[in-house]
Amino acid sequence: MTQPKVELHIANFGTITVELDQEKAPKSVENFLGYVASGHYDNTIFHRIIPGFMVQGGGMEPGMAQKKTAKPIENEAANGLKNTKYTLAMARTSDPHSATSQFFINIADNDFLNHTAPSSQGWGYAVFGKVVDGTDVVDKIKDVPTGRKGFHDDVPKEDVVLTKAVAL
Amino acid sequence: MEIIAPPHWQMVDCISDLHLQAQEPQTRDALSRFLSESPAQALFILGDLFEAWVGDDQLQSGTGIEHEVAAMLHTASQRMAIFIMRGNRDFLMGEQLGAACGAQLLEDPSVLELGSNRWLLTHGDAQCLADTPYQTFRAQVRSTAWQDRFLSQPLSQRLELARQMRSQSEAQKTQRKALHEPWIDLDSATCLGQLQAHAADHMVHGHTHQPAQHPLGPGHTRWVLSDWDLQAKPPRAEALRLNTAHPAPQRIALVGATGPGANLSA
Repeated sequence: MTQPKVELHIANFGTITVELDQEKAPKSVENFLGYVASGHYDNTIFHRIIPGFMVQGGGMEPGMAQKKTAKPIENEAANGLKNTKYTLAMARTSDPHSATSQFFINIADNDFLNHTAPSSQGWGYAVFGKVVDGTDVVDKIKDVPTGRKGFHDDVPKEDVVLTKAVAL
Repeated sequence: MEIIAPPHWQMVDCISDLHLQAQEPQTRDALSRFLSESPAQALFILGDLFEAWVGDDQLQSGTGIEHEVAAMLHTASQRMAIFIMRGNRDFLMGEQLGAACGAQLLEDPSVLELGSNRWLLTHGDAQCLADTPYQTFRAQVRSTAWQDRFLSQPLSQRLELARQMRSQSEAQKTQRKALHEPWIDLDSATCLGQLQAHAADHMVHGHTHQPAQHPLGPGHTRWVLSDWDLQAKPPRAEALRLNTAHPAPQRIALVGATGPGANLSA
């Protein structure tokens, strides 16, 4: 089964290609491809970058306005995929099944984010893909200077803009 | 006590004043989520982790929350170094609890050397000099003689005494408010003196529940931690993150955000 691929074009940095695991994370992949197709990810920013941890985006426009999302999806973190370096996972609030459009790329082996139990504390974060090209672009993004913007921390001082996401 | 951060420590989280007790399970849950998602390499808990601690036998024979908290800290200690400082409510925390938590007990004050900065870590109660009734009480209860006598009493009696001390303290606070007396902050001169005595740059403390940054002098800042109360409206839980990649500490709001490690809506 060929797994779907998506290109994330990032202004001034380059292109990251992610391969999605439709077999192990069908709901997350369908959800992600939906946002790609509708153009939701076009002109969003990576608004939360923590070196040594992860880079997060997919939800805000430049200026930190939240884009409207579709319904939250089920958490597929129990699929056996681990939050290792350069994997792609769904971001969410403390409600295990609250993921909508935001995602993050792990830039370390973040074992503590893996599913351990179906409880609020143990659910973990659902991995649904990985970077197959452009890890060097991820490495550049993770090092941008960040600071506080409004109520948000770890926001890049200069916007890191995902200009368009293209399904291949 | 000096802690020299090993080279791999990039982020160090500081929290305090969780006042964990059986009647507030949401705060316990918030701590559990924070511990399972914080990307920091070390965690410093600067006092009043528990609402009351009357002896390490409370671990086995308390309400159950003590054991739960120790277990979650012990799990977290496998990937992050955990340090616990006694506060004014839980000043009887001992080695047994420390071991159960997988944590090192910290003296008050202690100094953390992280990168090129030296941080003086303290709970904050000892420096509130203007709170004379409290300082008298503190001198008494920190004496070995008093503690030995106290600990020789049965657990149920100690818990009752702790309840009485707490309601006395609350009554005093209410009285102060009624008389429009300002709440008592740490004495600046004392803080600056401590920084100089320990060759430290900045101070981090809790106790007052008044999160803010206060200049103490050129190149010296006093950082105050927030308390945690997940039943408050709005709920509050915050960590102060020291980060070698950042010039200043970051306040990590743990309520209402999206994404791993910032994620503790009530």
